[in-house]
Amino acid sequence: MLVLLLTGSGLFMVASAGEVWGQFNYENPFYFFQRQAFFAAIGLITMAGVSYVDYRVWKKIARPLLLLAFFLLITVLIPGIGMVRNGSQSWIGVGSLSFQPSELMKIALIFYLSVLLSERKTVIHLFWKGLFKPLFVLGMAFGLIMLQPDLGTAAVMGGTAFLLLFIAGARIRFFVMTGLSALGGLAILIASAPYRMKRITAYLDPWSDPLGSGFQIIQSLYAVGPGGLFGHGYGESRQKYYYLPEPQTDFIFAIWAEETGFIGAVFIITLFFLLIWRGIHIGMRTQDSFAALLVCGITAMISLQSFINLGVVIGLMPVTGVTLPFLSYGGSSLTMTLASAGIVLGISRLKG
Amino acid sequence: MRNRMFWLLAVSLIAFTALIVRTAYIQLSIGSELTEKAEELWGRSIPAQPERGFIKDRNGTVLVGNKHTSSVYVIPAQIEDAQTAARKLATILNEKESVLLERMTKRSSIERLQSRGRNLSVETARQVTKLQLKGVWVGEDSIRDYVLNERLAHVIGFTGVDNQGLAGIEAYYDKKLAGTAGSVQMYTDAKGEKMPGMADSYIPPENGMDLQLTIDAKIQAVVERELDNAEKMYKPEGAMAIAMDPNSGEILAMSSRPSYNPSSFGDYDPDVYNRNLPVWSTFEPGSTFKIITLAAALEEKKVDLDQEHFHDPGYVVVNGTRLRCWKRGGHGHQTFLEVVENSCNPGFVEMGSRLGEKTLFQYIRKFGFGQKTGIDLYGEGTGILFTEQSAGPVEDATTAFGQGVAVTPIQQVTAVSAAVNGGILYRPYVAMNWTDPKTGKVMIENEPKKVRRVVSEETSSEVRRALESVVAKGTGRNAFVEGYRIGGKTGTAQKAKDGRYLENNHIVSFIAVAPSNDPKVVIYTAIDNPKGTVQFGGTVVAPIVGKMMADVLPLLGVKPQKNQIEKEKTWNDPDMIEVPNLVGLTKQELKEQLINVDIEIEGSGETVASQSPSAGVKVERGSKVRVLLK
Repeated sequence: MLVLLLTGSGLFMVASAGEVWGQFNYENPFYFFQRQAFFAAIGLITMAGVSYVDYRVWKKIARPLLLLAFFLLITVLIPGIGMVRNGSQSWIGVGSLSFQPSELMKIALIFYLSVLLSERKTVIHLFWKGLFKPLFVLGMAFGLIMLQPDLGTAAVMGGTAFLLLFIAGARIRFFVMTGLSALGGLAILIASAPYRMKRITAYLDPWSDPLGSGFQIIQSLYAVGPGGLFGHGYGESRQKYYYLPEPQTDFIFAIWAEETGFIGAVFIITLFFLLIWRGIHIGMRTQDSFAALLVCGITAMISLQSFINLGVVIGLMPVTGVTLPFLSYGGSSLTMTLASAGIVLGISRLKG
Repeated sequence: MRNRMFWLLAVSLIAFTALIVRTAYIQLSIGSELTEKAEELWGRSIPAQPERGFIKDRNGTVLVGNKHTSSVYVIPAQIEDAQTAARKLATILNEKESVLLERMTKRSSIERLQSRGRNLSVETARQVTKLQLKGVWVGEDSIRDYVLNERLAHVIGFTGVDNQGLAGIEAYYDKKLAGTAGSVQMYTDAKGEKMPGMADSYIPPENGMDLQLTIDAKIQAVVERELDNAEKMYKPEGAMAIAMDPNSGEILAMSSRPSYNPSSFGDYDPDVYNRNLPVWSTFEPGSTFKIITLAAALEEKKVDLDQEHFHDPGYVVVNGTRLRCWKRGGHGHQTFLEVVENSCNPGFVEMGSRLGEKTLFQYIRKFGFGQKTGIDLYGEGTGILFTEQSAGPVEDATTAFGQGVAVTPIQQVTAVSAAVNGGILYRPYVAMNWTDPKTGKVMIENEPKKVRRVVSEETSSEVRRALESVVAKGTGRNAFVEGYRIGGKTGTAQKAKDGRYLENNHIVSFIAVAPSNDPKVVIYTAIDNPKGTVQFGGTVVAPIVGKMMADVLPLLGVKPQKNQIEKEKTWNDPDMIEVPNLVGLTKQELKEQLINVDIEIEGSGETVASQSPSAGVKVERGSKVRVLLK
């Protein structure tokens, strides 16, 4: 139900937000809407189908799926095969039918970690016996995605993995240690690509460089701010008229907040929270530890991704290029998200 | 594991609450602020220029008005076919097509065409409108109309091509004169096209306020006329004059030569329009500065003008240095009043040394030297004084008679005003009040500003008496005007260049105050390096100031007086006599009159019915007096 509401809102908003750019790039104001509707339909069917699959199947395909994901992640980096968009070599495929292997990796890693961690329940408090292997796999995946580079996806994936480790029962001391070393790692990453530092400073004070690094945040705030309590009304966004880049994907929530105001924004945020609540609720109910980890992993992924995206739009976080699950325009991400929602649905049906 | 899941839920609750709080902050708290900024981004506005405020003199005579013109604006994003538009517009405006094309294709929100696209005639403006080119607009605007041309130019200043004040009053009070631009606002998308569904709005411009100056156009005209004559006669490097009301600091007239025409300031050397000499130039004042020494000595009771005597051998030796009096051989034995009349240097060195270094410098500073007067004009000089540390006895001595210091004319005028107005230093100013252009109601009134009391009433009155004496009997006698009590002081200063005094190159000056019993005006005039004459203030400038006074005083409503200090005659002075009353005398009695006037009889009566000039007027011995018999 929640998923349907969110997807519906997404379609609704893609229709409006994509109107101007669709007209401009494809001479069809409903270009994005039509495609999104098409993918939503596919996604919903997939979701329904997936929800009837026995969850144990996921356990079986977890390892092959991980290998496939690694294979594709390496393939995408080969010049001529992977496609570069917005400075990242993340896409694979032909023409407008393309997808991001990193999307597949996110879900494959959740599968794999759920299997691994449910098998290692008793040794999880030990570092070498319990944690080394999952961390090694995560590190590989993380590194490959960073080569594209796509910090946003890598961060969501890494964060999800750590949440899984947390739920599985790894020691708090371990998280403190990794937290500290992550800070160090972050510093190295920033030092290696100056544009990341710019994004971070832009987030702290977007007006210091309004035409450069602060541009997206300012344009986003110019959309959200004037929305006020009730918004301009559906279809009345001004910022979508070429001011805000990517209004139908990364910044769809900005247009949403502009057109529907604070009320609409709270509505979406609440929907996401309810979704998390439902997800964790299902996880707590589930007896099988693999299934529980799987549900929590998927929930964690969606919640992290939505939190990061919303945070970027309202200027709480540096710009990372993470899409908003269910709402943002984009075929592979929408079908993937809906399919993973199907897995959760399937597990909830188990005892329901 | 459940425990951990619960923690996760709690943390996400906090995180998502934070999202809501932040959204509320952006949309509800700083939303309107962001909206304003965003509207600036969306809006393209065609400016509606406000009318710049008029500048008037103290009696309401318009000194600077506005002329209305049209100019062409283009909004590049709205232009459909730049080539055609440029070609069509080029023929009408008589401008190069390429120039217009460049403007029309520029990446800018709105472009105002230069030169050829401005100051359009009504006919041209109509032709442009008729073309109905998309993205080409005709805007109304106004340009300054400087009716005085070269007169008062340095005070008024000028505006640039966008009507922004660049010099003088126009610059100093630019904000108030300019008003606020209005606009026709259109909302456009990031590509510059009209955004659908947003209403255009019009904000009317707010016109600038009218400024009334303390300047009196009639007095200014007198001053300018005299400087014109002086320039013709002496071909000087420069000339300047200030007339000020000593009781308030109001500037009544100010002129700086060479001058320029504000409407075409670009044709002049920037040094000409940037240097308003009466406030900018800094030079050695020479003897006019002695007024300060005199006032200080009187205030400190170090000198009695009538009872004390001084012997001037023609020089004074200070610390081994021989400082000469300007008069070879000296003035001999004299009272201190005569010291002032004769502008005797050793006499003033004596006054200075009686005061002592510290007190003398204290007074100089109290009179406002060494700091800006604070007049509401740009480019004011500060002047250069010796500091107590750097001044030795020789410097103290020369300072006392106005050498080795450098001051601005406006400093001298304000200081002398303080010395004669009863002892109060005022801040000089030119902006009298601001009025609403529509109602004429006074919105802001500038009040005279007292800076400080410098000397007492009594001292001031003694200074006035001494100065009147200078004009009647001393070095300033060329400024004497029959019937008006004028006090004054000459000044002749050597110009220094590269640390050395120039030969035969002086700035000669005269400062006058009238009437001496109740000063209404102080006039200062200086001529820089006059040619073909003895370079002496009393010779060159005193007569100029005298003529100014003769015409300015009636304008100020000052009536001629009789009890002035009689002018002392010198061999070349015309002998003045009072015309006797002849009315009522018979023809016979008329012949018996033992008077030194040439009586011309008209009419054929027996007794005198009227006479011209009338009784009591002073005329030169031997002048004609016409009488009408009946």
